Amino acid sequence: MTTCVVGVGNELRGDDGVGLVVARALEGTLPKDVRVLECEGEPVSLLAAWEDCDRTIVVDATQSGAQPGTIRRIAAHDGPLPPELSRSSTHLLGVAEAVELARALGRLPGRAIVYGIEGAGFETGAEISEPVATAAALVAASIRRELESGR
Amino acid sequence: MSDAATKTRTIRTDYLARVEGEGGMRVRMRGGKVVDVQLKIYEPPRFFEAFLRGRQFSEAPDITARICGICPVAYQMSSCLAMESLAGAEVSGQLRALRRLLYCGEWIESHTLHVFMLHAPDFLGVASAVELAKINPGLVETALRLKKIGNEVMRVVGGREVHPINVKVGGWYKTPTRAQLEALVPDLEWAKAASLEAVRVVAGLEFPRLEQDYEFVALDAAGEYPIDRGGRLVSTRGLDIPIAEFFDHVVEEHVEHSNALHAHLRERGSYLVGPLARFALHRGLLSPDALAAADEAGLEPVVRNPFKSIVVRAVELVHACDEALRLIAAYEEPPEPAVAIVPQPGWGHGASEAPRGVLYHRYRLGPGGEILDAKIVPPTSQNQRSIEEDLLAFVSAHAALPEEELRLRCEQAIRNYDPCISCATHFLTLEVERE
Repeated sequence: MTTCVVGVGNELRGDDGVGLVVARALEGTLPKDVRVLECEGEPVSLLAAWEDCDRTIVVDATQSGAQPGTIRRIAAHDGPLPPELSRSSTHLLGVAEAVELARALGRLPGRAIVYGIEGAGFETGAEISEPVATAAALVAASIRRELESGR
Repeated sequence: MSDAATKTRTIRTDYLARVEGEGGMRVRMRGGKVVDVQLKIYEPPRFFEAFLRGRQFSEAPDITARICGICPVAYQMSSCLAMESLAGAEVSGQLRALRRLLYCGEWIESHTLHVFMLHAPDFLGVASAVELAKINPGLVETALRLKKIGNEVMRVVGGREVHPINVKVGGWYKTPTRAQLEALVPDLEWAKAASLEAVRVVAGLEFPRLEQDYEFVALDAAGEYPIDRGGRLVSTRGLDIPIAEFFDHVVEEHVEHSNALHAHLRERGSYLVGPLARFALHRGLLSPDALAAADEAGLEPVVRNPFKSIVVRAVELVHACDEALRLIAAYEEPPEPAVAIVPQPGWGHGASEAPRGVLYHRYRLGPGGEILDAKIVPPTSQNQRSIEEDLLAFVSAHAALPEEELRLRCEQAIRNYDPCISCATHFLTLEVERE
């Protein structure tokens, strides 16, 4: 099974960079056939990352009003992401749109898992907040387990 | 005025956002007439200007590339040019050809994203590219492949698809081999054919009526269609200045309703940068096939309907493919990847044509090559006034439209400018205030 793990985010915008933090924590620690990528979330790049993959795990920050650090794990192959996780709706930008675009084109990997980590702040130049950094470590561990158990 | 007579409705629309900002558009109407249109732009690259101070001149391309995920090359090029102008160095020959090639990759990628995925849905009456993929998967598949080809050019020349890491002041860390570039040719030939088809498709769209009397401003690249550089700034009303005099003619001012700076030409007013401006000023310098496609599409030599920018972008897509193919055909591996740069204290200026228009950088360096001051003027802040004027004219002419329809049309009108994602516009809410 070909798998790619994609961390999505912008490291210069505080907690928005959490997906990248998770990707960097996983880099080099996973089986060789698992690709780890970083992406700014521009959907076409995500689609390209998924090409030829049977399985993808995407990690992104969310901004839904939940407690900072809240972790959600969604099986995107089962259906659309919940609306609170799709930040932009009118025009394509972001993970939810990439998932739906891929689904519409038959390009969504058979297993597509999205981890959302609720951010506290998205200020330009800010550091990752503490609850979000803690959640990032938990998500990285969870992805490692998930890949080992073949869930 | 009674409460019943003052009715303010707020319609929120998420647009161009990964991270929430405060940008928005406010239309004030009184007695069915539009009295004011204000566009709030959330975030100019001021954080980066501050972040650059104290850094070495050589760090500027890597830092500024981070400003925009869609046009990192534009930021890299403008900053390199500014530093090189100060050092009295010119990156020429094949080193420069590679820069132009890298920039073509960015144009292909960015224009594809905008034409197919962002703007076309507005014209076709679908909510998004996702909906478009359901009714016309072929069109979206074409866009994905085109964009991937742009990415590939950037990967081979720039070392990476997003935020190329191979660019440095003076040239490159490593230059590609001839074979590496030649491997891009079949894809680029496909991309050119797809772009020509794209011109035909978008030329057949229905364009809302709007004709504006713009002053078009673009770089002048001495006989080339301006992309990666340009020594002068020219306009359709006779502006013709070296870019070092940018701030002698362009005034940036804070406007009350926006965090952003609005630019205008001193004693002249608003101006427009981007595809329409490049086309108006340099149409004759397009590749023969791009020019023929423009003629076949029925584009007049000066396009004043901003909605037709989608066609001009598609024409530029053809040009970018042609230009990339031409540069690859003429490529010879340079003996050295870069020219030596000895930084000089003083003021340096650089400008290039980002896909969405002129991107100007100015730096002041200290004696050790450290950045004392940085100033970045992105295309979207230069276009901000024109966008507002378009919206004013458009909303005035269509005030009777139902609000939802009006909102969609306003979004479409703003998208005519392909506003920057992370550098300027962030999150658009539309508020229509009817008094």
